[in-house]
Amino acid sequence: MDAPRMNSRKFIWPPKFPKWGYQNRINFKIGMLFLLPWTIGFIVFTLYPMVASLIYSFTIYHARQPLEWNGIKNYTDLLTDDLFWTALYNTIYMVIIGVPLTLFSSFFCAVLLNLKVRGQAYYRLIYFLPSIVPTVASTILWLWILNPQAGILNILLGYVGIDGPNWMTNPAWSKPGLILLGMWGMGNTIVIYLSGLQDVPTSLIEAAELDGANWWQRLWNITIPMVSPITLFNLVTGVIFMFQYFAQAYVFRGFQNLGYPLNSTLFYSVLLYQNAFQWLKLGYASAMAWVLFIIILVCTLALLKISDRFTYYAG
Amino acid sequence: MTINTEIQISNEATEARQRMRNRKVRNFFQSFFSHALINFVGLFFLVPFLWMLITAFKSNQDIFHTPPRWLPYDNVLAEINGEQLPMYNVQTEKGVKQLAAVKILEGVGTFVDPSNPSQVLEYEIQQGDKKIAEPIMHISFRWQNFPDAMNRASRPSIDASFWVYFKNSLIIAFFTIVGTLVSNTPVAYAFARLKFPGRDVLFVIVLATMMLPYQVTMIPLYLFFNNFLHWGDTFLPIIVPAFFANAYDVFLLRQFFRTIPEEMCDAARVDGASEWQIFTQLVIPLSTPVLATVTVFTFLWAWNDFTGPLLFLTSPKHFTMALGLQDFQSQRTLVWNQLMAAATIFTIPIVVAFFFAQKTFIQGIKLTGSKE
Amino acid sequence: MNKKLFTSLIILVIISMLLTACSGKAAEPEVLRVWIQWGDNPQQIQTLFDKYTAETGIKVEVTAPLEVDKILPALTGSEPPDVLVLSGGDLVKSYYKEGLVDDLTGAVQSGKIDLTDFFEAPLDQCKMGDKLLCLPWGTDMYALFWNKDLFEAAGLDPETPPATMEQLAEFSDKLTKVAADGSLEQIGFLPDMGWDHSDLYINMYDGFWYNEDGTKMTANSQPVVDALTWQQQFYTKYGVDNVMSFSSGWADTYMSADYPFYTGKLAMYVDGEWMTGPNFISAFKPEASYGVAPFPPPADHPERANTAVVQGTVAVIPSGAANKEASAKLLAWMMSPAVVAEEFCFNANLPTSKKAAEDPCFTNNPKFKVFTDLISSPNAKIIVTTPISLEFNDAWGLVIEQVLHTGMDPKPVLDELQATFEPKLAEANK
Repeated sequence: MDAPRMNSRKFIWPPKFPKWGYQNRINFKIGMLFLLPWTIGFIVFTLYPMVASLIYSFTIYHARQPLEWNGIKNYTDLLTDDLFWTALYNTIYMVIIGVPLTLFSSFFCAVLLNLKVRGQAYYRLIYFLPSIVPTVASTILWLWILNPQAGILNILLGYVGIDGPNWMTNPAWSKPGLILLGMWGMGNTIVIYLSGLQDVPTSLIEAAELDGANWWQRLWNITIPMVSPITLFNLVTGVIFMFQYFAQAYVFRGFQNLGYPLNSTLFYSVLLYQNAFQWLKLGYASAMAWVLFIIILVCTLALLKISDRFTYYAG
Repeated sequence: MTINTEIQISNEATEARQRMRNRKVRNFFQSFFSHALINFVGLFFLVPFLWMLITAFKSNQDIFHTPPRWLPYDNVLAEINGEQLPMYNVQTEKGVKQLAAVKILEGVGTFVDPSNPSQVLEYEIQQGDKKIAEPIMHISFRWQNFPDAMNRASRPSIDASFWVYFKNSLIIAFFTIVGTLVSNTPVAYAFARLKFPGRDVLFVIVLATMMLPYQVTMIPLYLFFNNFLHWGDTFLPIIVPAFFANAYDVFLLRQFFRTIPEEMCDAARVDGASEWQIFTQLVIPLSTPVLATVTVFTFLWAWNDFTGPLLFLTSPKHFTMALGLQDFQSQRTLVWNQLMAAATIFTIPIVVAFFFAQKTFIQGIKLTGSKE
Repeated sequence: MNKKLFTSLIILVIISMLLTACSGKAAEPEVLRVWIQWGDNPQQIQTLFDKYTAETGIKVEVTAPLEVDKILPALTGSEPPDVLVLSGGDLVKSYYKEGLVDDLTGAVQSGKIDLTDFFEAPLDQCKMGDKLLCLPWGTDMYALFWNKDLFEAAGLDPETPPATMEQLAEFSDKLTKVAADGSLEQIGFLPDMGWDHSDLYINMYDGFWYNEDGTKMTANSQPVVDALTWQQQFYTKYGVDNVMSFSSGWADTYMSADYPFYTGKLAMYVDGEWMTGPNFISAFKPEASYGVAPFPPPADHPERANTAVVQGTVAVIPSGAANKEASAKLLAWMMSPAVVAEEFCFNANLPTSKKAAEDPCFTNNPKFKVFTDLISSPNAKIIVTTPISLEFNDAWGLVIEQVLHTGMDPKPVLDELQATFEPKLAEANK
């Protein structure tokens, strides 16, 4: 057998796979057998639809007639479509305001829940319970809470002298209303942060205490960096989720038009659904889907790249 | 000891006591402040919950009462001739009397004096701005809202009621759990413990699919299920994909399987066990905690699922609870009390599941957020 | 041994899947499906169709009401219903353009439907050239409803509704109550209560979005601008925010006792004839004391009195329906005078069949008579529809929101609407 050649970095084409020995072939067969559910699923439910939707995105869909090829016109039409930009704006609003706000609040709550006070178990329960209320139920509940006349939020605000806005009919306040709804259900993010906080070595904290650091300095210099991987995780998942925001917006508008009021709740996914199932422009909607995919991909990669400088991995 | 040191010691002692008292005071304030803050923030989480429950008990007339009351009020009823009739304060010529309303039609009410049931009196309910007859209310929890909500469908329809929706949700959740457990475990095991060429490349692909938004596959899948397979309006488009593994559960299970000591599997291999035997007889029994987690999470996800049913279920008798609730709310028959009652019932199974599986819940969430 | 366990598990899984599949799609022969977009009383509708089952032995499954976004997917899918009843005929031309509904000329012949029995106005909305795209099944007309108690309280004669649109605005002022802090306690008139009634108002100004035969777009013509300006005053006079705040969530309570017309928060508004029947006011608020009258004309055009827009629910046969013969027969049965009389007597809708209109139940209710008079008035108008109605209606909804709910100036908004849709209409009519 030749000694391995360390300087053979030439690019070999066509790529030669190493010859599989008998054991490798057996292992491969067994592996594939175990993977069968995923493989079939991948081909039928992932690969085929991806290819199909890519093709659709270049066509105009007709119900009982063959597909009509449209080239890249679907994509260029998107650029001139006012609704597309409105939807993009609304979605980015939620991503830029909703996600960081939720992250910050859940971290704050996790810190609260990590304090040494009696009855923590009960508090943790209370903070977590809303996150398991089913989405539709919590959205409808918040519709009731945000009702400008009889809703309890405006009533409570009234007690402290604030004139509550029309959460559901004023386009400027519908998205904040949805953000509040999202924050009510951030229990699982709190729990993830909480477990991260508990993993922060107490020795570090105590050492800082002895050195005379007050609680703010401890928080800023030790705790926050130590949980930065969790922050990154929550941030990325939050962003990906927010770009696909659909169910809450769909339920929130009641029986009014999608996007009510005044297209302020017309999020990207909602517009996509509208194009696909209300106007039957399936080709156009497919183009929207691929644009969304690319946006999410770019944002995630960008986040991961930037995060390298801010996250600290302990060991 | 000299007097000076004694004084010094006693001074130090006083100072120490003073410091301790200061610290106690500071601790007390810190503790009080922490408690207050936690409680205040906790109200944000708690009050909507309570409000949901309280509204579920309100009577129809009470929902929009201004200013809104915390406790539910309902009509005071009187039994006359075997019927329960609501009592009203009626302004008659002889002053305000309490009468029971037999029938109200087009603004005119037919009343009966409980002390004299045979005499029937008619009064207009409202004359201009003046209310002649007003119902008498008292604090009462209207439990009837719950059966009313459940027996009603989101539309007063045929073969459909929230009981049916509840059943449908259970069916879908059950099969989804079965499919998830059956399909994800072998896949995860393959990635965790089997060595075969291309394993890591494939795993990267599996993870990559997590990044794919469902919108990309939604439209072709919709056409595929509806037009090609004719599975429209059945549970199949929602259940069948669960039998073909998904990236999240594969990831979760793989993380767990990797914690099972390699030596145990190797020992079994040396003993001549096939991979399948190792998997079913060794790994699975050891994995009950994570399987419980996956079960609980899958139940939560399937119970909650809205988009799937929205796309594929069209007849009300096939609706799930999530779809039914949304449909109820969008049908212009917004009876908030029944809606809240239905929402409460929708939430109860999850809360119950949570209480039984608290540890697995929390553990699972931590696993998903684990740094590995 | 474990291989057997595995295989048996797989078989169990497959069997359970097949069971769910089969139970969901029990291929019963001879079940016709009727989908109805509205659903005041679906139980009653099913009972009605059970009569068809009694006559012919074919089971009929009614689904009502429908979500708007289930209709198009159903029509384009592989299993549309056998008969579809839509709340309005304005989208039928759009559907026909996409090849989703059939021309009913053949069905009329095979089902022996008597077209002369239909009132002209509702039937006209279904005609496109020499094609018949739908058949009207029940007609709706709209009129002015007012709360007599609130009239009395404001010092107005409860039996006398406003006689002109200007007087309506005056009455509304007297009937609107503003609290000390500027918020509203009672609204006199809300032009878009429930849903948009611009079609009525624009017709009162003698115009519409399209010209009479649907070939030209007139979205920014003077009647449309006037109608929007007239509507806008009810929002802007008391502050758009105040009105929006007070009236938010109102439309959600349409079919419940909390409807603002019942609770004394709204004094006047425009609604349809079904309100006078058993399913609405009598059901939800029997103690309401209310009046109905034709919507008044503008003061300087009294000749436009009794203008009302004929809107109707229409029945179509989807082009993907499985058994067109059976659909045609069912449709014919639905259109027969006896069935029309029964269904619309019960639900208090206007019958589309002349013979059915002779049934005493329609003439006995004095409030209902207001509507029967309107349908035979010479000023009864139909809604002009075009193949782009689907998209246009959504865009119009946005215009209403902008003009009424945020107080924008109607002229530029309408100009933009015209600019967007004029080419689309030209394209669609080619």
